[in-house]
Amino acid sequence: MLLVHDPIVKKVVLDVLKPHHPQIPELASKLVACHGVDHVGISLAEIDQNTESIKVQVEGTDIRIDTLKKCIEDMGATIHSIDEVEVVRRTQHK
Amino acid sequence: MKEYLKQFRFYLRLTGAAAISRRYFVMNAFDGALTALGVIIGAWSSGPIQPRIIIGAGLGMSLAMGISGFSGAYLAERAERLRRLRELERSLLVDLGKSIHGKAFKTVILWAAVVDALSPALTSIASISPFIMASRGLVSVDQAATLSIAIVLVILFSLGAFTGRVSKERILLSGVRMLLVGVITASIVFLLAR
Repeated sequence: MLLVHDPIVKKVVLDVLKPHHPQIPELASKLVACHGVDHVGISLAEIDQNTESIKVQVEGTDIRIDTLKKCIEDMGATIHSIDEVEVVRRTQHK
Repeated sequence: MKEYLKQFRFYLRLTGAAAISRRYFVMNAFDGALTALGVIIGAWSSGPIQPRIIIGAGLGMSLAMGISGFSGAYLAERAERLRRLRELERSLLVDLGKSIHGKAFKTVILWAAVVDALSPALTSIASISPFIMASRGLVSVDQAATLSIAIVLVILFSLGAFTGRVSKERILLSGVRMLLVGVITASIVFLLAR
């Protein structure tokens, strides 16, 4: 018998606006400690007087968007848009 | 405890407060030591002195400098940091109160105030400490005054050496430069108080 549960988010790409501090390596280190996150990749898109626009690619076994959003906001950054998501079906055989 | 310390260092790095607290420390420790030097030399060269008077004046001075340092730095630092936080909030269009920026803001203004309060208070207390020994009869008043002046000069040299280390200049030269300020101050006070 095949049981289908909630979908699991495996990958998200976010457009994020952040202050200059914490710097990208520090932000990445904090995000990788969030629940369900195994890998974080950040690239700088644009730099302004007070802010930086960055692309954040997050991969993991079970990413929770709300938790990830909170982790990002705790660091003083804000999500502009979710540009890409990869979701898989959690299945269980009985 | 280790976690708190790590978080505290992160806040200092985030706000660039390490440099400001170093500046506050040197400026106010210098103030404390030099003011104590003025009191000691002024009293000593005016005639016979009572250790109790120096201790009372010194402790009152430390307390006043501590309170003035704490309140002055707290208010000035709060205003500057709050302005910067609001500026960031306007750029990001979010409330940063609950973010690390909001937490760092509260932590560093308190830290700056504590540094500003303790540095002059501790250096002036250290400077008058030989008079506490004199009041207990452990040393004579003249010995206490000499020892006090020596302590102030050591403090001034150490502060100069510290600034030399920060600016990566010659430590000895920076120490001597600050020491000279102390010697000049002592000479002026001595001449005027006679």
